[in-house]
Amino acid sequence: MPRKLTDILAEADAQLEYRSMGTPPEEPTPREIKKTPSPRAQRLRDLYFDALSSATSEFPYWYTRAYMRLDNEIPVVRRALALESAFRHLTPTIFPGELLVMGKTHHLRGSFPMPWLSEGYYMAAEDELYQEALARGSASADEVSSFGMGGGNVTKSFGPVVSIAGKFGIRKEEVPMMLRTARDWEGKSVDDVGHKYEQMTPGYEIKESLMRSVTCMFDSGYTLPQGREVINYYYPLQFGFDALISLAEAKKRDVAGRADGDGLTGMNRLYNYEAAVHVLRGVQAWTLNYAKEARRLEAIEAERKQRDEYREIAECLEWIARHPPRTFREALQLCWAVHVAVLNEDAISGLSPGRLGQVLWPWYEQDLEAGRIDEEKALELLECLRVKFTCLDCFASMGVVGGVLSGNTFNNLSLGGLDRSGAPASNRLEELILEASIRCATTQPTLTLLYDDKLPESFLLKAMECIKTGTGYPAIMNNRTAIEFLMGQYGPEGMDLEEARAIAIGGCLETSPCSWMPLSLNGRSYSIPGGSGQPTSVGVHFLSLPKILELVLFDGVDQRTGLRVFPSHGRSLDRHEEVFDQVKLYFAEAVEVLSLANNNQHDVWRKSNAAVFNSLLKPDCLDSGHLINELGYRYNATHNVETCGTINLVNSLAALKFLVYDSSSFSLDEIRKALGENFGFKTADEVGSFSLAAQEKRGSSTKHDRIHLACLAAPKYGNDDPFVDRILKEWEDWFCAECRAYESLNARPYYACQISVSTHAPMGAVTMATPDGRLAGTTFADASMSAYAGTDRNGPYALFASATCWDHSQSQNSQLNMKIHPSAIHGRKGTKKLLELTRAYMRKGGFHIQYNVVDSRILKDAQEHPEAYRDLLVRVAGFTQYWVEIGKPIQDEIIARTEYEGV
Amino acid sequence: MGAPTRHMDCRNFAPIDVVKGICHLSKERVQADDASCPSFDRLPRCGECERYSPSDQQDVGVCRATPDHPMTYPGLAAVTCEWFRWRGR
Repeated sequence: MPRKLTDILAEADAQLEYRSMGTPPEEPTPREIKKTPSPRAQRLRDLYFDALSSATSEFPYWYTRAYMRLDNEIPVVRRALALESAFRHLTPTIFPGELLVMGKTHHLRGSFPMPWLSEGYYMAAEDELYQEALARGSASADEVSSFGMGGGNVTKSFGPVVSIAGKFGIRKEEVPMMLRTARDWEGKSVDDVGHKYEQMTPGYEIKESLMRSVTCMFDSGYTLPQGREVINYYYPLQFGFDALISLAEAKKRDVAGRADGDGLTGMNRLYNYEAAVHVLRGVQAWTLNYAKEARRLEAIEAERKQRDEYREIAECLEWIARHPPRTFREALQLCWAVHVAVLNEDAISGLSPGRLGQVLWPWYEQDLEAGRIDEEKALELLECLRVKFTCLDCFASMGVVGGVLSGNTFNNLSLGGLDRSGAPASNRLEELILEASIRCATTQPTLTLLYDDKLPESFLLKAMECIKTGTGYPAIMNNRTAIEFLMGQYGPEGMDLEEARAIAIGGCLETSPCSWMPLSLNGRSYSIPGGSGQPTSVGVHFLSLPKILELVLFDGVDQRTGLRVFPSHGRSLDRHEEVFDQVKLYFAEAVEVLSLANNNQHDVWRKSNAAVFNSLLKPDCLDSGHLINELGYRYNATHNVETCGTINLVNSLAALKFLVYDSSSFSLDEIRKALGENFGFKTADEVGSFSLAAQEKRGSSTKHDRIHLACLAAPKYGNDDPFVDRILKEWEDWFCAECRAYESLNARPYYACQISVSTHAPMGAVTMATPDGRLAGTTFADASMSAYAGTDRNGPYALFASATCWDHSQSQNSQLNMKIHPSAIHGRKGTKKLLELTRAYMRKGGFHIQYNVVDSRILKDAQEHPEAYRDLLVRVAGFTQYWVEIGKPIQDEIIARTEYEGV
Repeated sequence: MGAPTRHMDCRNFAPIDVVKGICHLSKERVQADDASCPSFDRLPRCGECERYSPSDQQDVGVCRATPDHPMTYPGLAAVTCEWFRWRGR
C-alpha cells in the first residue's frame, strides 16, 4: 500500500486540521433551509437541468456574411451592420410556460463562437489553426484545464453531435460551415492581428514563455474583452428604442462634418451615431421577431391559458421593441433583452445587472400601488429571470471557460448599499429578489450584498437566511471599503463621494464604477444606479505567484517544461530579503511585458471590434458621440493585474524564512532538492486527486519526510501570527502600489485585483511543490484571503485578524471563502451568529467574505454519485456553480477546505 | 414525398438543445432526430430555398439571393430570412 500524506502526518503525531472549532454531528447534515420554486419556474428549471450546452453557427454566419461584403466601410459602421444583420436573422424560440422570453440563440442553453475575436481554439486539436494557437502559447492553458463531466457539458462527441472547445455540442451538419466561417477570419481576427503587433512589444519572448509555462493564464484582449462590469439599462428604460434611434439620427445631423475642436476624433462621432442606429435597429428587429413568434404560437395554441400567455408576451415585446416600459413586467423583459443583446455583441463573462432591485423599483412601486402586481406574481417573474440567467453560456476557450470560469458566467446582481444621499438603499423588491433566490436556487444571477452598517437588520438577516440555503450567495462586499477604492481609482476622472455610492459589483467580485441616472415615470422622479465604466477586469490575467517563486528558486527556469521564462537572476538567495526582492523583480518584469502585450491586443480589439450596443448604454457615450474605443465612458481607469496563489506564496516565504534563514534547519539547496523531487510523492495527476491530504508517496521511501513535515509545520497564514502576517502585509503594500506604476492603453493606471476564480486549479496543476509543503500539481489555496486548506487552526477571528493586516481599499477586491457546517449556524440564533461573524469581518476592513454552508461528507458522496446531485450548488471563488459541472481539481479543493463546526 | 421528416425540421419544435426539444402541439419532449408526427409543419431552411445551390462539399452550399453569392449551409434556419423562397412552391 502506498503511504499517504495523512499516514505520514499521523505517524509524526501531526495533522492538517480540515475541521475547526469542534466536530460535526455523526450523520451528514443537510442544509437547513430549502424552499421550492413556483411550479412554472420549477418546470423551466427542470428543462435547464436536462439541457446540453449547445452551439450554433447562426449568429457568426450572418455576422460574417455581412461583414465580408463591406470592405472599405468605416470600421465601426461595418461592425454595426454585421451586428444588425446577425440580430435580425436570429431564429426566435419560445418555450411553453415562459413569461420572460429571448435568449442568445434558439437553444435553451445556446451560445456561439465569435471567430472575429479568435478562430483557432475551438477547432479540432489536430487542426492547423489549433496547433498554431498552441504554438504561440495562447492555448497552453487549455491543455491543463478541465470541465466537470456531468450536467450540461458536452465533453465528448456522440451521435449527431460534435464536442467543441471542451464543453459545447454542435450538430455535425453545422461543422463544415463553422469551419469555413472560422477560416474566413484567419489572419483577420483580433487574436491574429493582435498577435502580429504584440510581437513588436519589448520583452515579447518573455510574455510567450509566461503563457507557455502557465505563469500567466490568459490574454483578455481576444478571449473575453468585455465583462466584469455593470451594465446600464437606463437609456432604453427611460426613452425606449424608437426614441434612442431618433436621438442618434438627430445627433448625426448635429455632428456631420464638424470636428468641434477635436481634430483627432471629432469627426468620428458621425460614424459612431450611424453605428448606434444600425445596432439599435438590429436589436429592435430581433425583439420583434420574438413578438412574431409569440403571435404565431398564439394562433396555433389550443389551450386557453397558454394562448393568453403567448398574447401577453407578444404585446409586451411589441411595446418594448419601440417604447419605454410601462409596467414592472415590461421593464424586466426589456432589461433581459438588453442584457442578452450585449452578451451577443461580444464574448463576455461577468456582465452584471448591477442593483437591479433598485433599477426596477419605480415600476414595481407604481404597479403595486395601482394593483397591477402582487408579491407572489413578482416572485414568479423573478424566479423565471433566475432560470433565464442560468441558461446563459459563454463560449470561449477551454482554458478560459473551464480553467478560469468553471463554466460560470458571473452575472452578479448587487443588493443593498447606500443611495446617493448616504441613506440605506435596500428596498422590498430586493427582499423579494433574495426570496426568489432562496426558492429558485440556481447559479445565476449570483448575488452580492453591499454590506453597510446602516442597512436594516431585517434585510441583513434575510441575506443570511439566503446564505444558509447553501447557494453561496449573496457574497458580502464591504460597501465602505469599495467606496474608498473607487474614490482613489476614479477620483482623477471626476468621481465624487455621491457618485461612488452608486457602486455595484461586476463579474464575481470586481468593484465597478457606476453612476446615478435621473429617471422619470408617470411624473415621479427617481435616481437609479447603473454601470458607467469600462470592463473592470481586463489586462494582466492571471499571474501565478507560487510559479513566480518557483522561477525565483530555480533561476528563471520553469521546472515542468524546462523552459527559461526569465533571464537568470544569478543571485545567491542567501537572505529572506533577497528572495522576497527577487519575487518582486520577476513579478514586475512579468507585469511589464504582459501589460504591454495586453494593451496592444485591446487596442486591436477596440479598433476593429469595439462595443457599439454596450457603449451606447453607458454614460456618457450618447451625449458625447464617442464609444468605448474613444473613452466615451465616464470612467476608463479600469485595467487591472490579477493574481492567484497569494497565500501559498506568503506561506512559502514564511517557511523559507523560518526554516532556512532564521533557524538554519535546512539549507536552501536541500529545500530545492526536496521540491524538485516533490518531497518523494507521486504527482497529483498520478494519484488522481488534487487535494494535499490525498497525495501518496512514491514507493516506501521516507526520503524527504523530515523536511516535508517541517515545511508543513512552519508558520502559516490565517492564525493571527505576526511572523506570517508581516510577510502578507509587505507583499500587499508593495503589490497594490506597484500595479499603479503601469499604464493601460487608456493612459490610466492599472490596479490590483485579487480573485482566483478557478485558476488555482490549473495553475496549481502546473506548479511544482512549494516550500509551504504543498505538493506538485495540487491546487493552490482558493481566493486571496482564504487560508490554505487545513492550516487555519485558531478559529475564524484569527483568520480575520490575519486577513485584515493590510489596507484592502488599496485593491479592487480581496476574497475570503469560508466553509461552515450547517449545524454551526442552525436556527434563528445561528442566522444571527452568521451575521455577527460577517459584521466582525466587515468592521475590521475585510473587503469580501462568502460562505459555503455544507457538510463535506455530502460533497464526497456527490463526487461518488453525481447522478443523485444534479441540483447541488457550491460556492467556488466568487461564484456559485453546480457541483456536477465543476472539474475534479476544484471539487477536491472545495472538499479539502477547512470546515468550521462552530463560529 | 422526400426524405423522412424529423422533429427538428418542424416549425413546432422548440429546441432545448442539439438533440431534443419540446413539441408546441403536444407539449411533449421529443428527440430532434426522431420521425415527426402527421402535424409536421416544415421549418424554412436554406436547403429548402429555391435560391440555394449545393456545392461540392457536403453540408455547404451557395446562396444566390445576393450578388456576392455567399456560402451557406442547408441546415441554416431561414425563419427570419428576407430572401427565403420555398423551392417548388
